[in-house]
Amino acid sequence: MRSTWIFYRKEMLDMSRSFKLIWIPIVFAILGITQPIISVFMPEILEMSGGVPPEMLSLYETPSSAMVMVQVLSQYSTMGVLILVLAGMNSVSGERHGGTAELIMVRPISSFSIMIAKWFAQCTQLLIAFGFGYIASFYYTYQMIGSLSWTSGLASFGLYGLWLILAMTITLLFSTILRGAGAAFVTLAILALLSLLNSLLPTWFTWSPARLSSLAAEVLIGNTLSVSSVIICCLITVGIIVVCLLSAARLLQKRVLPN
Amino acid sequence: MDLSINWSLILPILILQLVLAVIGLISLYKASEVRGPKWMWVLIIIFGNMLGSILYFVIGRKDA
Repeated sequence: MRSTWIFYRKEMLDMSRSFKLIWIPIVFAILGITQPIISVFMPEILEMSGGVPPEMLSLYETPSSAMVMVQVLSQYSTMGVLILVLAGMNSVSGERHGGTAELIMVRPISSFSIMIAKWFAQCTQLLIAFGFGYIASFYYTYQMIGSLSWTSGLASFGLYGLWLILAMTITLLFSTILRGAGAAFVTLAILALLSLLNSLLPTWFTWSPARLSSLAAEVLIGNTLSVSSVIICCLITVGIIVVCLLSAARLLQKRVLPN
Repeated sequence: MDLSINWSLILPILILQLVLAVIGLISLYKASEVRGPKWMWVLIIIFGNMLGSILYFVIGRKDA
Protein backbone atom coordinates (compact mmCIF):
# COMPACT_ATOMS: atom_id res chain seq x y z
CA MET A 1 0.00 0.00 0.00
CA ARG A 2 2.76 2.37 1.05
CA SER A 3 4.91 1.50 -1.95
CA THR A 4 1.93 2.05 -4.24
CA TRP A 5 1.50 5.53 -2.82
CA ILE A 6 5.20 6.29 -3.29
CA PHE A 7 5.08 5.08 -6.89
CA TYR A 8 1.96 7.12 -7.50
CA ARG A 9 3.73 10.26 -6.32
CA LYS A 10 6.74 9.41 -8.46
CA GLU A 11 4.50 9.00 -11.54
CA MET A 12 2.76 12.31 -10.88
CA LEU A 13 6.11 14.05 -10.47
CA ASP A 14 7.25 12.53 -13.76
CA MET A 15 4.10 13.74 -15.50
CA SER A 16 4.46 17.29 -14.23
CA ARG A 17 8.17 17.39 -15.14
CA SER A 18 7.40 16.22 -18.68
CA PHE A 19 4.60 18.86 -18.84
CA LYS A 20 2.00 16.17 -19.57
CA LEU A 21 -0.22 17.50 -16.78
CA ILE A 22 -0.40 20.83 -18.61
CA TRP A 23 -0.29 20.22 -22.33
CA ILE A 24 -2.84 17.41 -22.55
CA PRO A 25 -5.58 19.37 -20.69
CA ILE A 26 -4.85 22.42 -22.87
CA VAL A 27 -5.19 20.39 -26.07
CA PHE A 28 -8.45 18.87 -24.81
CA ALA A 29 -9.76 22.35 -23.97
CA ILE A 30 -8.84 23.73 -27.40
CA LEU A 31 -10.54 20.78 -29.10
CA GLY A 32 -13.62 21.25 -26.94
CA ILE A 33 -13.94 25.03 -27.36
CA THR A 34 -13.35 25.03 -31.12
CA GLN A 35 -16.36 22.83 -31.86
CA PRO A 36 -19.14 25.14 -30.54
CA ILE A 37 -17.46 28.20 -32.10
CA ILE A 38 -17.26 26.51 -35.50
CA SER A 39 -20.90 25.40 -35.23
CA VAL A 40 -22.11 28.93 -34.53
CA PHE A 41 -19.98 30.70 -37.12
CA MET A 42 -20.36 28.10 -39.86
CA PRO A 43 -22.26 30.47 -42.24
CA GLU A 44 -19.59 33.19 -41.87
CA ILE A 45 -16.81 30.67 -42.41
CA LEU A 46 -18.47 29.31 -45.55
CA GLU A 47 -19.14 32.82 -46.82
CA MET A 48 -15.51 33.84 -46.39
CA SER A 49 -14.24 30.70 -48.10
CA GLY A 50 -16.47 31.66 -51.04
CA GLY A 51 -18.13 29.59 -53.73
CA VAL A 52 -21.16 28.76 -51.61
CA PRO A 53 -24.49 30.05 -52.98
CA PRO A 54 -26.39 32.32 -50.53
CA GLU A 55 -29.47 30.08 -50.68
CA MET A 56 -27.38 27.27 -49.23
CA LEU A 57 -26.17 29.55 -46.45
CA SER A 58 -29.69 30.51 -45.45
CA LEU A 59 -30.52 26.81 -45.11
CA TYR A 60 -27.85 26.35 -42.44
CA GLU A 61 -29.25 25.84 -38.99
CA THR A 62 -27.12 26.04 -35.87
CA PRO A 63 -27.22 22.57 -34.32
CA SER A 64 -28.79 22.20 -30.89
CA SER A 65 -26.50 22.46 -27.88
CA ALA A 66 -26.82 18.72 -27.24
CA MET A 67 -25.74 17.97 -30.82
CA VAL A 68 -22.69 20.23 -30.42
CA MET A 69 -21.65 18.34 -27.30
CA VAL A 70 -22.06 15.07 -29.22
CA GLN A 71 -19.72 16.47 -31.87
CA VAL A 72 -17.24 17.41 -29.15
CA LEU A 73 -17.32 13.82 -27.90
CA SER A 74 -16.72 12.49 -31.41
CA GLN A 75 -13.80 14.93 -31.66
CA TYR A 76 -12.42 13.36 -28.45
CA SER A 77 -12.97 9.89 -29.90
CA THR A 78 -10.46 10.61 -32.65
CA MET A 79 -8.00 13.31 -31.62
CA GLY A 80 -8.43 12.88 -27.86
CA VAL A 81 -7.91 9.13 -27.83
CA LEU A 82 -4.98 9.45 -30.25
CA ILE A 83 -3.25 11.95 -27.95
CA LEU A 84 -3.92 9.92 -24.80
CA VAL A 85 -2.56 6.74 -26.40
CA LEU A 86 0.52 8.47 -27.83
CA ALA A 87 1.25 10.20 -24.53
CA GLY A 88 0.88 6.98 -22.54
CA MET A 89 2.62 4.56 -24.87
CA ASN A 90 6.04 4.87 -23.24
CA SER A 91 4.89 4.76 -19.63
CA VAL A 92 6.10 1.19 -19.05
CA SER A 93 8.18 0.41 -22.12
CA GLY A 94 10.32 3.52 -21.59
CA GLU A 95 11.27 2.30 -18.12
CA ARG A 96 11.83 -1.22 -19.39
CA HIS A 97 14.25 -0.12 -22.11
CA GLY A 98 15.83 2.59 -20.01
CA GLY A 99 16.70 0.11 -17.27
CA THR A 100 14.69 1.79 -14.51
CA ALA A 101 12.33 -1.16 -14.33
CA GLU A 102 15.12 -3.62 -13.40
CA LEU A 103 16.38 -1.33 -10.67
CA ILE A 104 12.92 -1.16 -9.14
CA MET A 105 11.94 -4.78 -9.61
CA VAL A 106 14.98 -6.31 -7.88
CA ARG A 107 13.64 -4.85 -4.67
CA PRO A 108 10.89 -6.67 -2.80
CA ILE A 109 8.06 -4.77 -4.43
CA SER A 110 5.20 -6.53 -6.17
CA SER A 111 4.80 -5.69 -9.83
CA PHE A 112 1.11 -5.32 -9.10
CA SER A 113 1.64 -2.31 -6.85
CA ILE A 114 3.77 -0.69 -9.56
CA MET A 115 1.08 -1.24 -12.20
CA ILE A 116 -1.76 -0.06 -9.98
CA ALA A 117 0.20 3.09 -9.12
CA LYS A 118 0.84 3.76 -12.81
CA TRP A 119 -2.82 3.13 -13.56
CA PHE A 120 -4.03 5.54 -10.87
CA ALA A 121 -1.58 8.19 -12.04
CA GLN A 122 -2.72 7.82 -15.65
CA CYS A 123 -6.35 7.94 -14.47
CA THR A 124 -5.69 11.18 -12.59
CA GLN A 125 -4.08 12.73 -15.64
CA LEU A 126 -6.87 11.52 -17.94
CA LEU A 127 -9.64 12.82 -15.69
CA ILE A 128 -7.92 16.19 -15.31
CA ALA A 129 -7.54 16.52 -19.09
CA PHE A 130 -11.00 15.24 -20.02
CA GLY A 131 -12.65 17.13 -17.17
CA PHE A 132 -10.99 20.42 -18.06
CA GLY A 133 -11.84 20.05 -21.75
CA TYR A 134 -15.39 18.89 -21.08
CA ILE A 135 -16.15 21.71 -18.64
CA ALA A 136 -14.69 24.28 -21.06
CA SER A 137 -16.75 23.04 -24.00
CA PHE A 138 -19.86 22.62 -21.83
CA TYR A 139 -19.54 26.22 -20.67
CA TYR A 140 -19.00 27.53 -24.20
CA THR A 141 -21.90 25.55 -25.62
CA TYR A 142 -24.11 26.67 -22.75
CA GLN A 143 -23.24 30.34 -23.29
CA MET A 144 -23.27 30.41 -27.07
CA ILE A 145 -26.01 28.03 -28.13
CA GLY A 146 -28.38 27.22 -25.34
CA SER A 147 -29.08 25.43 -22.11
CA LEU A 148 -28.01 21.88 -21.48
CA SER A 149 -29.13 19.50 -18.80
CA TRP A 150 -26.52 19.24 -16.04
CA THR A 151 -27.49 15.73 -15.05
CA SER A 152 -27.26 14.31 -18.56
CA GLY A 153 -23.96 16.14 -19.05
CA LEU A 154 -22.62 14.53 -15.91
CA ALA A 155 -23.91 11.08 -16.92
CA SER A 156 -22.31 11.30 -20.34
CA PHE A 157 -19.07 12.52 -18.74
CA GLY A 158 -19.02 9.38 -16.60
CA LEU A 159 -19.81 6.99 -19.46
CA TYR A 160 -17.31 8.57 -21.82
CA GLY A 161 -14.67 8.79 -19.09
CA LEU A 162 -14.96 5.03 -18.57
CA TRP A 163 -14.33 4.47 -22.30
CA LEU A 164 -11.24 6.69 -22.16
CA ILE A 165 -9.99 4.84 -19.07
CA LEU A 166 -10.37 1.57 -20.98
CA ALA A 167 -8.30 3.01 -23.85
CA MET A 168 -5.62 4.09 -21.38
CA THR A 169 -5.57 0.66 -19.66
CA ILE A 170 -5.11 -1.17 -22.98
CA THR A 171 -2.23 1.20 -23.77
CA LEU A 172 -0.66 0.35 -20.42
CA LEU A 173 -1.04 -3.40 -21.06
CA PHE A 174 0.63 -3.32 -24.47
CA SER A 175 3.27 -0.93 -23.21
CA THR A 176 4.57 -3.77 -20.99
CA ILE A 177 5.08 -6.11 -23.97
CA LEU A 178 5.90 -3.92 -26.94
CA ARG A 179 8.01 -0.87 -27.68
CA GLY A 180 6.24 2.50 -27.48
CA ALA A 181 5.16 2.91 -31.09
CA GLY A 182 4.08 -0.71 -31.43
CA ALA A 183 1.99 -0.44 -28.27
CA ALA A 184 0.27 2.68 -29.59
CA PHE A 185 -0.43 1.04 -32.94
CA VAL A 186 -1.92 -2.15 -31.45
CA THR A 187 -4.05 -0.18 -28.99
CA LEU A 188 -5.42 2.13 -31.68
CA ALA A 189 -6.16 -0.88 -33.92
CA ILE A 190 -8.08 -2.63 -31.12
CA LEU A 191 -10.06 0.50 -30.28
CA ALA A 192 -10.85 1.14 -33.96
CA LEU A 193 -12.00 -2.47 -34.38
CA LEU A 194 -14.26 -2.21 -31.31
CA SER A 195 -15.84 1.03 -32.55
CA LEU A 196 -16.25 -0.33 -36.08
CA LEU A 197 -17.99 -3.52 -34.88
CA ASN A 198 -20.19 -1.44 -32.63
CA SER A 199 -21.32 0.83 -35.46
CA LEU A 200 -21.70 -1.94 -38.07
CA LEU A 201 -23.52 -4.50 -35.94
CA PRO A 202 -25.15 -2.54 -33.12
CA THR A 203 -27.67 -5.23 -32.27
CA TRP A 204 -25.00 -7.91 -31.81
CA PHE A 205 -22.67 -5.90 -29.64
CA THR A 206 -24.98 -4.33 -27.09
CA TRP A 207 -22.47 -5.35 -24.40
CA SER A 208 -19.37 -4.04 -26.18
CA PRO A 209 -17.28 -1.42 -24.34
CA ALA A 210 -17.31 0.71 -27.50
CA ARG A 211 -21.02 1.04 -26.80
CA LEU A 212 -20.14 3.41 -23.96
CA SER A 213 -19.30 6.23 -26.37
CA SER A 214 -22.64 5.92 -28.18
CA LEU A 215 -24.46 5.65 -24.84
CA ALA A 216 -22.75 8.88 -23.76
CA ALA A 217 -24.02 10.56 -26.93
CA GLU A 218 -27.56 9.24 -26.43
CA VAL A 219 -27.67 10.50 -22.85
CA LEU A 220 -26.74 13.97 -24.09
CA ILE A 221 -29.46 14.02 -26.74
CA GLY A 222 -31.96 13.05 -24.06
CA ASN A 223 -32.92 9.52 -25.08
CA THR A 224 -33.88 7.33 -22.19
CA LEU A 225 -31.54 4.37 -21.88
CA SER A 226 -32.38 0.97 -20.58
CA VAL A 227 -30.66 0.74 -17.23
CA SER A 228 -29.75 -2.92 -17.69
CA SER A 229 -27.77 -2.28 -20.90
CA VAL A 230 -25.83 0.56 -19.26
CA ILE A 231 -25.01 -1.62 -16.26
CA ILE A 232 -23.95 -4.57 -18.43
CA CYS A 233 -21.70 -2.31 -20.53
CA CYS A 234 -20.09 -0.73 -17.49
CA LEU A 235 -19.57 -4.06 -15.73
CA ILE A 236 -17.96 -5.62 -18.82
CA THR A 237 -15.70 -2.61 -19.29
CA VAL A 238 -14.63 -2.64 -15.65
CA GLY A 239 -14.01 -6.39 -15.95
CA ILE A 240 -11.79 -5.88 -19.00
CA ILE A 241 -9.89 -3.12 -17.19
CA VAL A 242 -9.23 -5.38 -14.18
CA VAL A 243 -8.11 -8.30 -16.41
CA CYS A 244 -5.81 -5.98 -18.38
CA LEU A 245 -4.23 -4.63 -15.18
CA LEU A 246 -3.69 -8.09 -13.67
CA SER A 247 -2.12 -9.45 -16.85
CA ALA A 248 0.01 -6.31 -17.25
CA ALA A 249 1.39 -6.82 -13.73
CA ARG A 250 2.09 -10.50 -14.48
CA LEU A 251 3.77 -9.67 -17.80
CA LEU A 252 5.90 -6.96 -16.21
CA GLN A 253 7.18 -9.47 -13.66
CA LYS A 254 8.01 -12.01 -16.38
CA ARG A 255 9.57 -9.53 -18.80
CA VAL A 256 11.85 -7.76 -16.40
CA LEU A 257 12.88 -10.67 -14.19
CA PRO A 258 12.79 -13.79 -16.39
CA ASN A 259 13.34 -16.23 -13.49
CA MET B 1 -19.94 42.65 -38.80
CA ASP B 2 -19.85 42.14 -35.06
CA LEU B 3 -16.12 41.66 -34.89
CA SER B 4 -15.93 42.72 -31.24
CA ILE B 5 -18.03 39.75 -30.07
CA ASN B 6 -16.02 37.54 -32.35
CA TRP B 7 -12.75 38.46 -30.67
CA SER B 8 -13.92 37.89 -27.13
CA LEU B 9 -14.97 34.39 -28.12
CA ILE B 10 -11.77 33.50 -29.93
CA LEU B 11 -9.38 35.08 -27.43
CA PRO B 12 -9.43 32.11 -24.97
CA ILE B 13 -8.40 29.76 -27.79
CA LEU B 14 -5.55 32.07 -28.76
CA ILE B 15 -4.40 32.29 -25.14
CA LEU B 16 -4.50 28.51 -24.75
CA GLN B 17 -2.50 28.08 -27.95
CA LEU B 18 0.02 30.66 -26.77
CA VAL B 19 0.42 28.87 -23.42
CA LEU B 20 0.86 25.57 -25.26
CA ALA B 21 3.58 27.03 -27.50
CA VAL B 22 5.36 28.66 -24.55
CA ILE B 23 5.32 25.38 -22.57
CA GLY B 24 6.67 23.59 -25.65
CA LEU B 25 9.49 26.12 -26.00
CA ILE B 26 10.38 25.93 -22.28
CA SER B 27 10.45 22.15 -22.45
CA LEU B 28 12.58 22.31 -25.61
CA TYR B 29 15.00 24.73 -23.96
CA LYS B 30 15.39 22.47 -20.92
CA ALA B 31 15.73 19.22 -22.89
CA SER B 32 19.29 18.03 -23.24
CA GLU B 33 18.56 15.92 -26.30
CA VAL B 34 15.73 15.87 -28.83
CA ARG B 35 15.07 14.00 -32.04
CA GLY B 36 16.40 16.17 -34.85
CA PRO B 37 17.88 19.66 -34.61
CA LYS B 38 16.47 22.01 -31.98
CA TRP B 39 15.98 24.98 -34.34
CA MET B 40 13.67 22.82 -36.45
CA TRP B 41 11.45 22.17 -33.42
CA VAL B 42 11.44 25.88 -32.55
CA LEU B 43 10.05 26.62 -36.03
CA ILE B 44 7.54 23.75 -35.81
CA ILE B 45 6.26 24.88 -32.38
CA ILE B 46 5.98 28.54 -33.37
CA PHE B 47 4.43 28.10 -36.80
CA GLY B 48 2.67 24.75 -36.32
CA ASN B 49 -0.08 26.05 -34.02
CA MET B 50 -1.54 23.35 -31.78
CA LEU B 51 -0.39 20.48 -33.97
CA GLY B 52 3.22 21.66 -33.94
CA SER B 53 3.38 21.58 -30.15
CA ILE B 54 1.64 18.19 -30.01
CA LEU B 55 4.13 16.79 -32.52
CA TYR B 56 7.02 18.08 -30.41
CA PHE B 57 5.65 16.60 -27.17
CA VAL B 58 4.82 13.23 -28.75
CA ILE B 59 7.67 12.70 -31.23
CA GLY B 60 10.34 15.25 -30.41
CA ARG B 61 10.98 14.46 -26.74
CA LYS B 62 13.34 11.54 -26.25
CA ASP B 63 12.32 10.64 -22.72
CA ALA B 64 8.62 11.14 -23.27
